[in-house]
Formats: sequence, structure tokens, C-alpha cells
Amino acid sequence: MREIFQDALKEVVQSVLPISLVVLLIQIFLVGSPPEKIAMFLLSAFMVGLGFTFFLMGVKVGMLPMGEAIGGELAKHGSILFLVLTTFAISFLATVAEPDVRVLTSTITSVSDDVISRSALLLSIAFGVGIFVVLSMLRIVYGVSIKYLYAGSYLLIIALSLFTPPDYLAISFDSGGVTTGPMTVPLILALGTGVASVMAGRSALSDGFGLIGFASIGPILGVMLLGVLLV
Amino acid sequence: MIAEALEALMESTLDVLKAIIPLVLFFLVFQVFHLRYPRRHVMRLLFGIALTAVGMILFLAGVFLGFLPTGQEMGRFFGGYEEGWVLLAVGVLLGFLATYAEPAVRVLCYQVEKASSGYIKSSLMLYTLSLGVAVLVGIGMARIHYGIPILHIIIPGYILAIILLFASDRDFVGISFDAGGVATGPMAVTFLMSVAVGAASVMEGSDPLVDGFGLIALIALAPIIFVLSLGVIIRMRRGDEG
Repeated sequence: MREIFQDALKEVVQSVLPISLVVLLIQIFLVGSPPEKIAMFLLSAFMVGLGFTFFLMGVKVGMLPMGEAIGGELAKHGSILFLVLTTFAISFLATVAEPDVRVLTSTITSVSDDVISRSALLLSIAFGVGIFVVLSMLRIVYGVSIKYLYAGSYLLIIALSLFTPPDYLAISFDSGGVTTGPMTVPLILALGTGVASVMAGRSALSDGFGLIGFASIGPILGVMLLGVLLV
Repeated sequence: MIAEALEALMESTLDVLKAIIPLVLFFLVFQVFHLRYPRRHVMRLLFGIALTAVGMILFLAGVFLGFLPTGQEMGRFFGGYEEGWVLLAVGVLLGFLATYAEPAVRVLCYQVEKASSGYIKSSLMLYTLSLGVAVLVGIGMARIHYGIPILHIIIPGYILAIILLFASDRDFVGISFDAGGVATGPMAVTFLMSVAVGAASVMEGSDPLVDGFGLIALIALAPIIFVLSLGVIIRMRRGDEG
């Protein structure tokens, strides 16, 4: 534990210190902020640093082993239905629970003049993410090349963007970034590599990644379709 | 100051708990029916998860308290410059540093190094990602200054990504798209977004809401292009057909 703490602390000093120093210098010498604002920033930089340390420790001790255990168990079980249901459940739950997704749904309802209810929207986004993550999990199982799935989805996005009304367009591209937050990323990452490393003929490196990428495509397509259909 | 900090902590606690409770319940169900780990092991995992949650609560509250208002202030300051390159340079600098300080980015880099048994170094991934976000946030900031429509950047970017998909080493494809989702974490979204909104707010004829949009899309696109390019370089160096 001590070693994990030291590793995490070292990484945090490298990561949080540079941005805090640069922001601090700009605030003092260029912007000329009042001392109370500087003090507030120092306090918050300390919180960010401490939080980062705990987060990284916790991910290594809890989140990653948990995801890998579930992923490995899923693959060993040998039932495709079980794999599909579990993957869907995890990604659905993670999306519904993601704070940024809630922010996104309220933005969309305000843009759409409350034509669709917020909870219906939340459920459809979570459903979309669930389906896309399941698809990319099946891809690992059946060994379908990920290139074609991504290329196809992106072409579809480009085509749809020509017909999507401007309000929805602005939200749609940004919506891809919000579905996977720092709490769910470690779990989903470990899930994919866990499944791929247990399955025969699959490598954790070339087959285990890609789940999070698909979780981002779902909402982009979903919001675009919504805009095309509703307007 | 203390009252503000407590309020931010309360808010981030609620957010983090909402995100984590379903996942913990799911794990417990799985534990009871399938995993059946010994109690000690389960306690250790749960301790790790609790630590992750506490860390994220502190991190989010800190970003919200300090980095968000500071970002807006900096955006208003640099947005006031006549020359467009100032905002571009600030975007490059902050884009790099924010990605460098993004928690989930570290987790991805760590996981890539582990899955590749050390062949793809975690630091190589980290620098590639940070550089990518730096370049695209720079472009995103310059876009606000010159009033270039976001689609004129996004669509060519997506087309470039599709081309790179087929030129890149296959090991990098999944990682690159995952990296796109990971780079849009709380530091990038909250801090960089507030810089962009701040800059747009001081510009004439610019709507902060509309101009602030699109930045997240660029941050998500950056790692895809840059990690795929890394894959192209590695494939060329190895001189094989992928």
C-alpha cells in the first residue's frame, strides 16, 4: 500500500503541479488577480492534487482488479447471452449515473423546447451507449475488425451532420465526450481487457480496447437522429 | 472561502455517489452469484473503490472551486487581445497541461502499458495524448477568435481519422478511440471549456454558448488523430503490412 501511495504521489506531483504553477503565474503576473482569489486557487489545487492521489491509488487497488475479475469471469462462463446482458447492464447503469450526462439531457430538453422529457432522453442515451458497448464486446468475441465498425459509424455521423439542425449539431458532437467519466472509465477499460485476455486467440492489446470509444459514438448518433426526426 | 469549499464538496459528493453506487451494487451481485471471492479480498476491493470515490470528490470540488473561475478569468483576459495567436498559444499550453493532469488519461496509459507488456510505454501515450489535445485546443481557441464554423474543422478531422484508421497499426485502433473518450474528463471539460467561454464572452458578435460548444468535440477528436498517427509511424518503422 505504501508503495502504491508513493507511486501515486509521484505521478500527481508530475501532473497537477505543472498546470497549477502555470495558472498561478499567469494569475499573478498577467491577469493580476486579488490575493483572496489566489488563495482560493491554491486551496483548490491542493484538493485536486490530494484527490488525484487517492483516485489513482483506489483505481489500482479496487477499480481495475474489479473490472478485470468481472471481465475474466464473463469470458470463462462461455455464455454469449450472459456476456451481452452483463455488458449492457454495466454500461447502461454507468451512463444513467454519470453526472455529465444529466447536464447534457437538461441542455437538450431546453434546446428542444421540452418536446421530449428529460428522463426519456436519459434512458435513450443510456440505451444507445449500452447497445454500442455490447456491439463492441461482441466484436471481441467474434473477432470482427474494429476498423470497419469505426469507419462505418464515422461516415454515418458525417452524413447525418449534413441534415442535423444547428442547435442539435452543436450538442451532438460534444455529447460523445460526456458519457464516460473518470469513475466508469477504469471499470469499462478493465472489462474489455479482462474478456480479451481470457479468451483464446484474442490479445488484450489489440482486441481489449475500443469499448469506451464506442460508448462515445452512441450519443453523437442518437442526438443527431433526434434532431433530424424532431425538427 | 471555507463555506464555498464545503458547498462544492457536498455537490461533488452527491455526483460521485450517484455514479458509484450502481456499480458497487452490480459488483456485489456478481460477487454473491459468480465470483465468490474470500471476504478479505472483497474488503480490499471495496476499500479501493471507496478511495477512488473520495479522490474524485476532492478532485471535482477542487476543479469547480479553483480551476473553473480562474479559467473564465484567463479566457476573458486573453480573449481581449487583438492578435489571434495569443489565444492560440494559450490554448496549446493549457490543452497540454490539462490533459497531463486528467485522471482517467493516466489510467488508460497505465492500462495500455500493462496490456502491451511494456511495449507501448505509458509515457509515450501520455505525451501523444497531451500533444494532440494541445494542438486541437489551440485550433479551437483560434477558431473562436476568427469566427470559423466548427463543422469546417470537425468534418475534415473526422475524414482524416477515417483515413488514418486504415493506415495505422491495428493495435492502436481501439486504444485511439478509447483515448478520445478518456481525454474529455473533468479537467479538460470544466477548465478548458471555461477558458473558451470566457474568451468568447469578451469578443464582439460572439455568442459564448455557441462558441463554447464544439471544444469538447475537438478534445475528443485529438487523441484519435494523434494516437492513430503514432500507430502509422510505428507500423512504418517496423516496415510490415499490419
